[in-house]
Amino acid sequence: MKENVASATIFTLLLFLNTCLLNGQLPPGKPEIFKCRSPNKETFTCWWRPGTDGGLPTNYSLTYHREGETLMHECPDYITGGPNSCHFGKQYTSMWRTYIMMVNATNQMGSSFSDELYVDVTYIVQPDPPLELAVEVKKPEDRKPYLWIKWSPPTLIDLKTGWFTLLYEIRLKPEKAAEWEIHFAGQQTEFKILSLHPGQKYLVQVRCKPDHGYWSAWSPETFIQIPSDFTMNDTTVWISVAVLSAVICLIIVWAVALKGYSMVTCIFPPVPGPKIKGFDAHLLEKGKSEELLSALGCQDFPPTSDYEDLLVEYLEVDDSEDQHLMSVHSKEHPSQGMKPTYLDPDTDSGRGSCDSPSLLSEKCEEPQANPSTFYDPEVIEKPENPETTHTWDPQCISTEGKIPYFHAGGSKCSTWPLPQPSQHNPRSSYHNITDVCELAVGPAGAPATLLNEAGKDALKSSQTIKSREEGKATQQREVESFHSKTDQDTPWLLPQEKTPFGSAKPLDYVEIHKVNKDGALSLLPKQRENSSQPKKPGTPENNKEYAKVSGVMDNNILVLVPDPHSKNVACFEESAKEAPPSLEQNQAEKALANFTATSSKCRLQLGGLDYLDPACFTHSFH
Amino acid sequence: MNIKGSPWKGSLLLLLVSDLLLCQSVAPLPICPGGAARCQVTLGDLFDRAVVLSHYIHNLSSEMFSEFDKRYTHGRGFITKAINSCHTSSLATPEDKEQAQQINQKDFLSLIVSILRSWNEPLYHLVTEVRGMQEAPETILSKAVEIEEQTKRLLEGMELIVSQVHPETKENEIYPVWSGLPSLQMADEESRLSAYYNLLHCLRRDSHKIDNYLKLLKCRIIHNNNC
Repeated sequence: MKENVASATIFTLLLFLNTCLLNGQLPPGKPEIFKCRSPNKETFTCWWRPGTDGGLPTNYSLTYHREGETLMHECPDYITGGPNSCHFGKQYTSMWRTYIMMVNATNQMGSSFSDELYVDVTYIVQPDPPLELAVEVKKPEDRKPYLWIKWSPPTLIDLKTGWFTLLYEIRLKPEKAAEWEIHFAGQQTEFKILSLHPGQKYLVQVRCKPDHGYWSAWSPETFIQIPSDFTMNDTTVWISVAVLSAVICLIIVWAVALKGYSMVTCIFPPVPGPKIKGFDAHLLEKGKSEELLSALGCQDFPPTSDYEDLLVEYLEVDDSEDQHLMSVHSKEHPSQGMKPTYLDPDTDSGRGSCDSPSLLSEKCEEPQANPSTFYDPEVIEKPENPETTHTWDPQCISTEGKIPYFHAGGSKCSTWPLPQPSQHNPRSSYHNITDVCELAVGPAGAPATLLNEAGKDALKSSQTIKSREEGKATQQREVESFHSKTDQDTPWLLPQEKTPFGSAKPLDYVEIHKVNKDGALSLLPKQRENSSQPKKPGTPENNKEYAKVSGVMDNNILVLVPDPHSKNVACFEESAKEAPPSLEQNQAEKALANFTATSSKCRLQLGGLDYLDPACFTHSFH
Repeated sequence: MNIKGSPWKGSLLLLLVSDLLLCQSVAPLPICPGGAARCQVTLGDLFDRAVVLSHYIHNLSSEMFSEFDKRYTHGRGFITKAINSCHTSSLATPEDKEQAQQINQKDFLSLIVSILRSWNEPLYHLVTEVRGMQEAPETILSKAVEIEEQTKRLLEGMELIVSQVHPETKENEIYPVWSGLPSLQMADEESRLSAYYNLLHCLRRDSHKIDNYLKLLKCRIIHNNNC
């Protein structure tokens, strides 16, 4: 019996339950408060999730009490936060205090309570996203453009009193990029982005966070188009430029290929060959040299008897002058026995000075009193030899500037002796270093008379001219000058040049014509082969050919030594500044000794060459 | 740690006096803390330093609490027992912005100093006890040590600020006393954990409070409520 009752009861309950279930009415399920947030530390909102629906309308209520209080409160605002939410206003919000709250779901069938939630507003702070995000491309004048991002803090947040502190963060990316570029901005509300990809569309977002709390959501995306930078597009421009220039080059090459040579000649005209007016190259081929040369205006080629005219202009021998010099010299230096040796009655040489009867007498000038003057270009007079086609006066004049020390003591600029018209010996060129290439007599009293630099230049220029006329061996002999001036460092030297020509031609010599009291040495050109050579003053014996500089003594005195082996006059050229290294002093001293032995030996002759050893004079004059 | 009888007080006063005498050309408020070579630390600088310290201390405290909770007490409802467990709750501290704006500057500063002072001892014991634990959590210990040291510095800075802003302030030695040491040493693990939980929970809250108060005062005093 009892078992029957029990089973009946159970059956009834189950039936009842079944009936209820079929009706769908149950007490509400247990709700759950799942989230509470405060956007500004002044209010906060909590949201709950309702439990299972009981099928009946359910009321929810949130009740809470706070730490340190026992009084229960109900949610003051169910609406502001939306459905299933409770919003706590300013007057209900307290910091640093725990809220204990729960939600009660009630329906006809019953109610259910959620679990208690312990909430401290301090730790649920999460602001809203920043507002008014503004993005702008700024282009400063002298810098690259940059992105200027500006925003505002969300509303309802009190930053001014310091109650709330916000920190920001921005992110941006090109539209189609995969990853964001994130920048922390601190508490500032603006930001610059300097590294940009021009020509792209950028997305920018910003968010914020309290000093202690949760990050806000990202603000809505802001789009910005970065303008294409011209400099970045240069590659396109350069590519097009390169293509254009390549096309132009191809066109030019094609044109050149077509036109060929004419274009080349247009661009690179051929270098014209030398052309002489009136010169017909065909004449050359025919071998008519006369006509050819006449066309050239070359009258003296091959050298004719006029050759002398060219060569002879360097020195001028003045008989009268010589005599003067000699006489003077004889007075002062009676021991000088060289004087008579210098008197050269030779008249056929190209002295061209007063000596020569064919020459003008106006050249016969008295030796100037100033022994230190050597070349006086102003005194130079052209030999008015009609046969002379060349005058060396310009040479004389031009050398004026080169004669700092020399003053024409011997009056005239020694123009080279003019060629004697009667002499057809083409080789009768000579150099007469007359005049007194005087050195100012210095303490040494060295007489050296020599060619000065001007004469050297003249000689050289004559040399060049001679070189044009082949077949004429010209030799210039120069006597080294003695440094006799204290203030004169450069001794006078006769530039000597080795004759480039062989000994096929007779050589020109210089002989000491005379020496004046001041040590001026006048040299006469002398012709070797001329049988009618005038007797040389002095003894023909003891003629030695001084073709070598044996040594240089102090004061740059050049000592000449006889050179029996040399047939030709060795043109030696020395400058006062150069010391001939190859010579020995011993030889020089020997030579000197020889010279001093016989004054007449100063003038030596070898093979018809007369040289004058200035060393003689050195001793003689002392 | 009782500051009242410590030698710090005397030396600090001496330094302050000497510095005030030495540093004559500081504007707006002449202060030369610690006899530094440059006597140019302004009130604004002091507040900036204080805010940095308080911010740092709260970050450390928050991390320390999170680590402890995650490791020992999570999901075990210790929070329920932490209600009303802070020893500084007796202090009438403002709990919202309006209340904070109503409190005057001087009281506000004194309040902050009291809170800081009240934490000297609990921090000291916290370090001692954690260090003596078996399997002491190294990260929690290091943070505790750091918090203790920085809190001391913050207190010194606050006292300087107080001396600058309210030089006439009489030394107020009243502060809440912590008496939770026996709880930290309880044999029952649950009770001990609860004690630690409460301590760390209160530390996190009070450090946040101090940080917020200082930021408020800085904007009020230095920037005239225009941060």
